[in-house]
Amino acid sequence: MEGPPQMPNPVLSIRSLNVTFVGSGADIPAVRGIDLDVHENEVLGIVGESGSGKSVTALAAAGLLPRTARITGSVLLGGRQVVGATADDLRRMRGQDVGVVFQDPSTTLNPLMPVGDQVTEGEVAHGRLARADAGVRAVDLLREVDIADPDNRARQYPHEFSGGMRQRAVIAMAMAGRPRLIVADEPTTALDVTVQAQVLALLARRQAETGAAVVLITHDLGVVAEVAHRVAVMYGGRIVETGSVRDIFARPRHPYTAALLRSAPRIDVTAGRLDPIPGQPPTPTDLPAGCTFHPRCPLHAGRTRCTTEDPALRPMGPGQAAACHFAEEMGARDPLSPGPSPRGEGRPVAAASLPPPGGRDSERGSPPPLLVVDDLKVHFPIRAGLLRRVVRTVRAVDGVSLSLAPGETLGLVGESGCGKTTTGRAIMGLIRSTGGRILFDGKPVHGLSRKGLRPVRRAMQYVFQDPFSSLNPMLSVGDAIAEPLRIHGLYDAAGGATWIATLLDMVGLSPSVAHRMPREFSGGQKQRIGIARALALKPRLLILDEPVSALDVSIQAQIVNLLQDLQKDLGLAYLFIAHDLSVVKHISDRVAVMYLGRIVEEGPKADLYGRPVHPYTQALLSAVPAVDVDPAAKRRRIVLEGEIPNPSAPPPGCHFHPRCFRADGRCGVEVPAFRPYGDGATRTACHHAGPLTVPLTPAPETLGASP
Amino acid sequence: MIGFVTWRLAQLVPVLLVASALIFFMMYAVPGGPVAALVGENATQEQIAAVTEQFGLNRPVAVQYVDWLLRALTGDLGQSLHSREPVLKLIGERLPATLQLAAVATLIGLLVGVPLALASALSQGSWLDRALSGWSALALGVPTFWVGILLILLFAVELKLLPAASAYVPVWQDPWQMIRNAILPAGTLGLYVSGIFARFLRGSLITEFNADYVRTARSKGLKEGTVVARHVLRNAMLPFVTIVGIMLAGFIGGAVVTEAVFTYPGLGRLVIQAIGSRDYPLVQGCILVILAIYILINLLVDVLYVYIDPRIDYG
Amino acid sequence: MTPVLPSAALASAARVVRRVLAQPAAAVSVAFLLAITVLAFTAGLLGLDPLEQDMLAMLEGPSAAYPFGTDELGRDILARVIFGARTSLTTAAGAVLLAAAIGVPMGLVAGFFGGWRDVALMRVVDLMLALPGIMLALALIAVLGRSQSAALVAVGLTGVPTFARVARAQVLSLRKRDFVTAVEAFGATSSYSMFRTILPNSWSPILTQMVVLSSVAILLEAALAFLGVGIPPPTPSWGEMLRTGKEYLYDAPTYAVLPGVALTLTILSFDTIGRALSSVLEGRDTAVPQPRAERA
Repeated sequence: MEGPPQMPNPVLSIRSLNVTFVGSGADIPAVRGIDLDVHENEVLGIVGESGSGKSVTALAAAGLLPRTARITGSVLLGGRQVVGATADDLRRMRGQDVGVVFQDPSTTLNPLMPVGDQVTEGEVAHGRLARADAGVRAVDLLREVDIADPDNRARQYPHEFSGGMRQRAVIAMAMAGRPRLIVADEPTTALDVTVQAQVLALLARRQAETGAAVVLITHDLGVVAEVAHRVAVMYGGRIVETGSVRDIFARPRHPYTAALLRSAPRIDVTAGRLDPIPGQPPTPTDLPAGCTFHPRCPLHAGRTRCTTEDPALRPMGPGQAAACHFAEEMGARDPLSPGPSPRGEGRPVAAASLPPPGGRDSERGSPPPLLVVDDLKVHFPIRAGLLRRVVRTVRAVDGVSLSLAPGETLGLVGESGCGKTTTGRAIMGLIRSTGGRILFDGKPVHGLSRKGLRPVRRAMQYVFQDPFSSLNPMLSVGDAIAEPLRIHGLYDAAGGATWIATLLDMVGLSPSVAHRMPREFSGGQKQRIGIARALALKPRLLILDEPVSALDVSIQAQIVNLLQDLQKDLGLAYLFIAHDLSVVKHISDRVAVMYLGRIVEEGPKADLYGRPVHPYTQALLSAVPAVDVDPAAKRRRIVLEGEIPNPSAPPPGCHFHPRCFRADGRCGVEVPAFRPYGDGATRTACHHAGPLTVPLTPAPETLGASP
Repeated sequence: MIGFVTWRLAQLVPVLLVASALIFFMMYAVPGGPVAALVGENATQEQIAAVTEQFGLNRPVAVQYVDWLLRALTGDLGQSLHSREPVLKLIGERLPATLQLAAVATLIGLLVGVPLALASALSQGSWLDRALSGWSALALGVPTFWVGILLILLFAVELKLLPAASAYVPVWQDPWQMIRNAILPAGTLGLYVSGIFARFLRGSLITEFNADYVRTARSKGLKEGTVVARHVLRNAMLPFVTIVGIMLAGFIGGAVVTEAVFTYPGLGRLVIQAIGSRDYPLVQGCILVILAIYILINLLVDVLYVYIDPRIDYG
Repeated sequence: MTPVLPSAALASAARVVRRVLAQPAAAVSVAFLLAITVLAFTAGLLGLDPLEQDMLAMLEGPSAAYPFGTDELGRDILARVIFGARTSLTTAAGAVLLAAAIGVPMGLVAGFFGGWRDVALMRVVDLMLALPGIMLALALIAVLGRSQSAALVAVGLTGVPTFARVARAQVLSLRKRDFVTAVEAFGATSSYSMFRTILPNSWSPILTQMVVLSSVAILLEAALAFLGVGIPPPTPSWGEMLRTGKEYLYDAPTYAVLPGVALTLTILSFDTIGRALSSVLEGRDTAVPQPRAERA
C-alpha cells in the first residue's frame, strides 16, 4: 500500500521546521528540524511519547503556537507561508484552509454559547455564511456528524452534551468551512473505547466525504494502525522514522519504532513478557548529545558515532525513511519477536515467562480464596431541596461478586463510570459499602471503622493511578515508603532503613535515592516508589487502580514487568483495575468486565478474550484499535450506539439493553442473573449470552480504505 | 425560579432571628447594660430603679427578647433610647443617602476598574501591565480615610472648589449639587473598589485567555477582538459579578469611615453614633437592616446568574 | 517520627524567601518593614519620646527640631509616628495570630469531618461574613469596651472567617489527592490524616493569608482609632493621629498627611509581600483579593 498517488502540490508542506520556546529560563527546543508533506485525501499519523514535539508540530501547522514560540523554517499551507505570516493572514487561513480538532471535548467548547452558534461562528466570521442562515446551517452540520435531533441540539449548550457528542460537534466545527487540512490532536484520548470507535469512524467518514488531508496526532499505535495511511514517528523533537503504515509496522527501520512496537501490550497477541524500552523519554531541556535515542538504544552498543552525530532522516526503501546511523542492522526482523536485549533491563527475556496462569488452581487443589466479594453495593445519595432529602441514588456499584485466590491476578475492566474504581476503594474500606459482604482471608471486613480496619490494612494495600498525586510532596522518598510502617509502629521491627533500602532495590531504584524529594522523579519512578510503599507492610493483596494509565507507553511496559516479577517473588494477589483491555489481558489470570455498576462477564483470560459471550464484552473487545495492519486479519467491528447512561438513572432491566444488538422485550424488564455460562469457568449476566457468530455491522470504513 | 427566590427569601428568617438574638444578648452582657446608658454615670439609685421599671429592664433577658421579637414581627423595631424616635424611621432617613453613595461609588469603581483590567490583561507581562497592577495595588491599599483627608485638603482647603463636609442631596432633586456633594466620598470609595475590581477581573481574564475554548475560537479564524468580546469577556464576567455584588453590599454599612471623614449622613454614621451613646435598639436595628440588605443583594446576584450562565438552573 | 525532614523544610523555606526577594517590589517592601520594625522597637534608645509636650511649639510645621512638626499638645509627630508603628505592628500581629488560631482549626474540622460539624461551623462563618468587617469590629468593641486588647480581639475575630474558609478549602482539595487517601489506606487515624498529612501541606496558603491579612488588620486597627473607638490615648496610634490631624487641617496640614504616609506604606508593603508569596507558593500570577477585606 503506497497511499494515494503522489501529487505535485501537497496541502501541507513543512521544511526544516524548528520551534523553540523562549521564556524566563533556558530556551526549550520543542521541534528540531522537521520535514513532512501531507496530500489531499491522505491521513498522516504522527506518533510519539510525551515531550516528543508532536503536538507542537500540529499547532505550528495551524499557526496556533503561542507568542513565546520562536519558529524558523517553512510551513506551506495550500501554497501559502504560515511562518511569519501576519495575524490577519493567519486568521484567514484558519477555518478556511485548516480546521483543528482538540483533545479534551469537555474544555474545547465555550460553556456560555449554544453549540450551534459555535459550530457556524467561523463561517460567519469569514463572511461565507449570512448570520440569518447560520441557524439552518448549524442543524445541517450537526446532522452530518450524526447528532440525533440536531434541531434542538443546535440550541443547547455544551454542558447538555455528552463527551462523545461534544467531540462530534468539534469535528463539525473543524470541518464547517471545508478546510483542505484537518489537524486532529489526540482527538479520542479523552474518550471511552466504545465512544472512541464511533468518533474515529465518523472522522474517517467525513474525511472520505470531503477529501481533506488529515494530520492525526496520537500516542496510541492502535489508532494509527486503524486510521492512517502514513506515519511519522517523533522522538526528542525530530522525526525518527516515516513511511507507510504497513511498512512501519511490519518492517520498522529505526530502533525506537521497533522498540515502541515491542513494548506495547497487544490485544491480538499473547506474549509472555513485555519488552520495555529502558530509561526515560528525554525532556526537551535536557536532550542527549548526538542521536537523542542513543541512551536507550540497543544498536548503540558504545559506538561513538551515536553519541556525537545526530543522524539525518535518510531513505530506507520506497516511501520509507529513518534517522539512524545503523538502520541497516535492523534488517527485516519481525518487530514482535524480541529484539536485541536492551541494556539495563536486568532479567533475561527467556527466564521471565510466567507460569501458565490457568493451571494454578488444579496444581494447588483450589486454595481458599484470599478475597471474596459478595453482592457488593455502593450507593451514593444525591440530596437536594429544603430538607436535604435524598432525591436520587447513584448506584456506583450495584451487586458485584468476585473472588481472588492467593497469588492470582484478577483484572477488573470497564469504561469510565462503570464503578471499577469504587469497587476497589470499597474493598479497601476507603468508601463505605451500602450492602453485601467483603471477606478477606475468610474474615468479614465490610462496615469496619477506621480503627477496625487497621489490622486488615496491613495485609491489603492500594496503588494509585496518578503517581504525581499519590506521594506526599512534603515527605522524602524514604519517609514516604516508611510512612505505613510508622503508622503501624513497625518501622524498627521491620528493619528500619535496611528494609527501606531493600524495598527500593526491589522496585528497581537505587537505595541512595531515599533522602530525595518526590518532585525530583519522573512519573514511572514515582510509580515505582508508590509500589515500594505499598509493599512496605508485606501485604498479601495489592489493589492496583489504573497503575500504568498515566504513563508513557515505553514506561508502562517497565511497570507491568515489575509487577509481574514482584508477584512471582512475593506470591502477591493482584486486583488489577484498568480501562485498557490490552494491559489487562497481558497481566491477568482472570478478567471481569463491568458495566454501570455490575459485572457483565467474568472468566479466565483466554476464554474472555477468545470467546466472549456477553454482547458488551464482544463490542468492547472489537472497539480496541489494534496494532494490526494485515488486511486479512482486519477484525469486524461492532460500533455501539449511544454512550454510557448516567449511573443515577440507569436503564431498567439489563443496564446494557438500550445499546445492545441482541436486546428484546425481556431485557428491558428483567435483570439478568450473574451465573455460569455453559459448563466452563465463565460467568455472565445476559439473557442472550453466546459467542459472536454473525458480525452484525460491517466494519466502518477506515480512513485509508485499505487495499 | 420563583420557588428558588421564595426559598432564598425564607432563609432570611432564621439568619435574622439568630443574628438578632446574638446581638440582643451581647448588648445585655455589657457591664452596666442599657440602664447605665440611659441614666448616665452619676445617676442615683432611685433614677436607676425608675428607668429599669419604665423600660421593663428588670425582666429576664429572654423575656425581653421575645417581647422585642413579637413587636419586630409587626414592623416595630423599638425606639431610639436617645432621641425617642422609632428606630425604623431613623434608619429610613439614612438609608437613601447610603444607597446613593454605594451606587455612585460602585459605578465609579466599574468605570475605572474594568478598562484597567482589560488593558492589563491584554498586555500581560508588559510594562503597562506592571504599571496598571501597581496602580491597582495602590488604589486598594491606601486607606480610604487618608485619601479622603488628602482630597479635602486639596479640593476644599486649598482650591475651595468642593464642600469639606458632604451633605446628602438626592439625585432627582438637584443633580448638580448631588455631584458636588457626592464626588469626594464616592470618588474615595470608587477609587478603592476600582483597585479590587481591576485586580480580580485581570486575574479571571488571564485564566480565561488560557482556556481551551479560546484556542478553539482562534482556530476558527475569528478576529482577536471577537475572541475577546464574545468568548473571553463573557466567561471572565461570571465570577466578577459576584465580587461586584459583595462590594456593593459591603458599602451599605461598611462605608462607616468614609462617611465619618466627609461627615456624610449615612447609615454608617448612624451606627457609630448609636454605639457611642449605647443606643442599643438603634444599633440592633441598623445591624439587622444591613444583614438583610446583604442577603438581598446576594440573592439578586444569584438570580442574575440564571440569565448569564446557562449551566445554572434553579428549577 | 519526623514527618518532614527539617533540612528539607528549611531548604524549601530558604528557596521561597529567595524567590520572593527576587521580586524587586517585594524586596523593597521587606526592607521597609524591617526598617520600621527595628526603628519602632529601638526608638526609645534614640531619645525619642512620643509623650513629651513642648508647650512653646504646638501645631508647628516641619522644622529642624521637629522634622514632622508637632501636634496640638506640642508633641513630636515623628516620635509619635515611630511609636505608632509599634502599636500598629503588635496589634496586627496579635490579631492575625488570633484569627489563624481560631479559624484554621475551624476550617480543618469542618472540611475533614463534613456533616453537621461542617454545616454548623460554616453557618457561623457565613453570619460573620454577612456584616462588613468594620461593622463587626465596631459591634465587638461596643460589647468589649475600648482598650488595646479589645481592638486586638475585634480585629482578630474579623479575620477568623478568612482562615476558616482557606483551611476548609485546603482540606477539601487535599482530600481528593491520592496521597491523603493513601495515608488512610495505610491504616492511619483521623488525627494523623488531619495534622500530619493535611496541615503540613496547607502551610503555603495559610502563610500567604497571614501576610495579606496583616495589611487588613493594620488598616482596620487604624480605622477603629480614626473613628475614636480604637486603642485609647495617649498611646500613639496612626489612626488616632489622623483623626486629630483632620481637626487641624487648616492650621497644620502636614499633621494629617505624614502619619498617613507611614500607614499607607506599611499596608502596601504587606500587600506586596502577600502577592509575591502567593505567586511563588501557588504559582498564581494574581493574588485574588479577599472580598472580605473591607476597608471602608
